[in-house]
Amino acid sequence: MNKSVTGKGHNVTPLQDSSRRSERSKDQWSQLLEQVGASQDRGAFHQLFEHFGPQIKYYAISNGIANQAEELVQEVMISIWRRASTYDWRKAAASTWIFTIARNQRIDMLRKIQRGSAEMAIETEDLWQIPGDDEKDPVPSLHRIIAERRIRDSFQHLPEEQVAVLAKVYLEHKSHQEVAQEMDIPLGTVKSRVRLALGKLKVILQDQDL
Amino acid sequence: MSVHHPDEMLLTEYSAGTLTEPMALCIRMHLERCAHCRSQLDMLNSLGAIMLDHSHHASKVSDDLFDSILTRLDDPEQPPDNEQQATETDNRSPLEKMLGTDLQSLPWKRQLADVSVCDLSDYFPGDERVTLQKLCAGGRAPSHTHGGKEATLVLTGAFADGNGVFSKGDFVILDEHHDHQPVALHGEDCITLSVLDAPVRLTGRLTRLLNPFIR
Repeated sequence: MNKSVTGKGHNVTPLQDSSRRSERSKDQWSQLLEQVGASQDRGAFHQLFEHFGPQIKYYAISNGIANQAEELVQEVMISIWRRASTYDWRKAAASTWIFTIARNQRIDMLRKIQRGSAEMAIETEDLWQIPGDDEKDPVPSLHRIIAERRIRDSFQHLPEEQVAVLAKVYLEHKSHQEVAQEMDIPLGTVKSRVRLALGKLKVILQDQDL
Repeated sequence: MSVHHPDEMLLTEYSAGTLTEPMALCIRMHLERCAHCRSQLDMLNSLGAIMLDHSHHASKVSDDLFDSILTRLDDPEQPPDNEQQATETDNRSPLEKMLGTDLQSLPWKRQLADVSVCDLSDYFPGDERVTLQKLCAGGRAPSHTHGGKEATLVLTGAFADGNGVFSKGDFVILDEHHDHQPVALHGEDCITLSVLDAPVRLTGRLTRLLNPFIR
């Protein structure tokens, strides 16, 4: 285990130089989110809503909860507002952080519908963590930002059939098995498309890349 | 650092939030101990954000939605978000939080000389059989295979079988192709969290006759 992961005080790993470089790469959404966290800036919050609100609504609809779509948008936005002060741009881009909140709120909503009034044995957030909540993790900011940019760039070049499979998994909440049934292709084909896509995006890391 | 990891398919489904609760718990418990998979998950989460952004079909929201949100923010009746406080002060693992006790104090049921089991299925919705399995230090489990897929996460100690040595934090999926006879290493009881989507099939000659699940 890396020594730097042990203490709270060692969380910030980058050198001065790379820290300054990555500060410049902070995207506009991360800046807005920080403003919300630092000073409850409602203007910044509104800009985030304008950008992410419609995405979250689409996410809800494609997930088959069209009737609760705006409710999900509300829950996600309120969660963003309340947690903004814990957001750390070095640990995740704002869009990634917001994706995980939307995912968790969606799961939470479905779990509540499924369970009715029965108490949940385990909180959604104990099952699916929001990035940055884990104090143990060091902050590989520059590495993360480079990786994220690389994923974003190479995503443009993914063949449509691979994007389609990823969309079913990420936006429609489908398991690989369900994707196979729905697209009427063998499970092996689904898996190989996902694998190919993750390979091209270099999401699958070899140990030496770490 | 763990040696045995969930594959990228499982991590992708975890990131997308499509796994069942018990499977998500296994992955979460693995992530606790595995920086490698945490790093992969970060990237998969970034991919999730890109997918959300890429959809182009962003749906127009109602004109008054933002106002409704502001109203809720201003509502003093709204319960404060105490989740963050809870995570800050609570160092227990998600599993311990769920159980509300430590592993040793659970109502273990001894099944065989070396094997005890504690069934957790009732904590979760769905049909999976979720169990904690304890193989006492140096103990040996009977040879068995699996009628379905069994995800196993090592919580304490370590066990070895024909496929290798599995220690704390390791994650492995066993299925009908694995006929294994795990042996716990000496020194510490080996406790695993197992999620089985179909019943275990015993492969000993006599037990086979007794097993109702032979197809």
